[in-house]
Amino acid sequence: MKRERMENANAVRGECASSGEEKKMFEEEENEDKLLAGAGYKVCPSDMADVAHKLQQLEMVMEEDGISHLATNTVHYDPTDLYGWVQNILNNAPNYTSTISTNINNNSFTPSPLINVPENDPRAIPLPYIEAYPQIENQNCLKRFKSSSFPCSPAISSGNALPVVMVEEPGVHLVHALMACAEAVQLGNASLAVGLVKHAGTLAASQGGSMGKVASFFAQALARRIYGFYPHETLDSSYSDMLLMHFYESSPYLKFAHFTANHAILEAFASADTVHVIDFGLKQGLQWPALMQALAVRPGGPPVFRLTGIGPPRLDDADSNALNQVGLKLAELAQKICVQFEFRGFVCNSLADLDPSMLEIRAGESVAVNSIFELHRLLARPVEIEKVLATVKRINPDIFTVVEQEANHNGPVFLERFTEALYYYSSLFDSLEASVAASSEEVLVMSEMYLGRQICNVVACEGEDRVERHETLGQWRGRFSLGGFEPVHLGSNAFRQARMLLALYAEGGEGYRVEENNGSLLLGWHTRQLVATSAWRLAPGELC
Amino acid sequence: MVQEQHRGEQEKRSRFFINDNIDILREILKRLDGPSLGVAACVCRLWCSLTRNDDSLWEHLCFRHVSTASVRAVVVALGGYKRLYMVCVRPVLSRLGESERVRRRAWTRHEVQLSLSLFCIDSYERLGNGRIASDASTSSLMFLCNTINV
Repeated sequence: MKRERMENANAVRGECASSGEEKKMFEEEENEDKLLAGAGYKVCPSDMADVAHKLQQLEMVMEEDGISHLATNTVHYDPTDLYGWVQNILNNAPNYTSTISTNINNNSFTPSPLINVPENDPRAIPLPYIEAYPQIENQNCLKRFKSSSFPCSPAISSGNALPVVMVEEPGVHLVHALMACAEAVQLGNASLAVGLVKHAGTLAASQGGSMGKVASFFAQALARRIYGFYPHETLDSSYSDMLLMHFYESSPYLKFAHFTANHAILEAFASADTVHVIDFGLKQGLQWPALMQALAVRPGGPPVFRLTGIGPPRLDDADSNALNQVGLKLAELAQKICVQFEFRGFVCNSLADLDPSMLEIRAGESVAVNSIFELHRLLARPVEIEKVLATVKRINPDIFTVVEQEANHNGPVFLERFTEALYYYSSLFDSLEASVAASSEEVLVMSEMYLGRQICNVVACEGEDRVERHETLGQWRGRFSLGGFEPVHLGSNAFRQARMLLALYAEGGEGYRVEENNGSLLLGWHTRQLVATSAWRLAPGELC
Repeated sequence: MVQEQHRGEQEKRSRFFINDNIDILREILKRLDGPSLGVAACVCRLWCSLTRNDDSLWEHLCFRHVSTASVRAVVVALGGYKRLYMVCVRPVLSRLGESERVRRRAWTRHEVQLSLSLFCIDSYERLGNGRIASDASTSSLMFLCNTINV
């Protein structure tokens, strides 16, 4: 009966209960705890006065505003501790002034009941970001924190305070589970990691939306890392071609890369009669139709267009037919628009194997070197990037266009890489979901698979297998400057065209953003930058 | 006597039939906007065949102020102005929020370039369509055809 009255107090009809409690308290002080114990509550007789006082305050607070949500939303970890949960509710009430100065927010946060962190649980991990929650005197209360949307703070180091920004409230727990698992993996705690990765997987499956999908990919990648099931297929095949096509279709990242690079190349080729483009990653050759068309409508007529396409060896294609097929297709298009076209394809395991003499650069032609998301793969073996930059210098192109992911996924510490990647791919998945809104489910799924492979590589692989070693524009700039290159500014025309391209995608003004940074263009989703285009040429005095 | 003259004049006037003067008809149709051209195609068989087969009608619609000989050659080679309009120009314009003033607006150079680039990519994909993807729905211009959540 008393319990029912206690529950009534919980449901905002607390007046009679508290007053009833007070009466009882003053009448039979010594026996009160036994009676309450019979009802299931543990209260010490010495605390009785306090409890009554708190109940009175609670009644006053609850009478004022309709804050009944407090009763249902506040989290209690030990319902038998009457003092504790009354204090809990009072702390969460907006008008309550307590001696503790804490950050009280009207939006309450309800963590999932699965992860309960009582003190004697062996799975409780003393992670820096849990301890960063400001502590209040009663340990059974879980403190709420401000939840806001983007921007995300990219890295967590143990000295930092909690990253207070998450994608959405229920996703917070998911992110915590993933990070806890990553930390366990880093520390080498296998059993803990296994438990956590399963838990994260369950949470991700129930989460749904872009957050759930990206979390599932990360959980899968973590599982692969823990169990040692490294993904063995890194070579291209028709399946990966298809994934690429879907990604090309569903989001503007590749188109942005192609269009901005083409713009820089066009400006460099302004009045040349013969042009030669060396493409470090030909893939499906989707960049070149637009360039050929722009050359075709150029005042003064089109130049002779030579294309050298470089690609990796393919799983299903021993004779390197695929590269030639792409070349044939491009030739067909060139013939249609009356542009003289020559194509040459090279298959090599790594760009470092390339030698300028193979490329047969002729005198009098303008040369452009183009690299879309290819250079970061070379960082797996440090010697290679230097060799490639030296090769480019020997080629001495009029322009060297580079497009790379704007993220640091190449740090030495696994946890930092993991965190950075988690935020980066969350933004990417978010943008995919928004821009593929009404289009087919298949396109979205395939695009996500395409990104999922990258996630798997960043998280699960190590050493030479880990090829997705993204670095930020600042880092690349440093490398290029040291290598003897100077930046070429992409003009405002490129900026305007990029902006127009993005306006065709999601949500008009919202969503995708183009920014200019010292002559380079960066494409981002909301406030997170994702892809960076830059152009380079040899610094004067660097000819060797 | 005056009445006979009037009747004579009326007979002369009624003998003018637009379908007998296709060059005038063409000049008129050239100045229409997209939806009106579509309506015109439903008028009669002659108008229908004109709008379907005569690509120059659509040229004026597409790049009214910017069309040059080289652009024309490229567009014709890649599939024609009607296709360009249907596949690129109309969705681009509506996405960029100008659908009400399509008829009167002047194209900027950037819009021309963007539309041409997208058109070219689309033509390129259609060249070897059977090989890349089994279904014809994989097209980089799909994003233009789909409605966006505004």
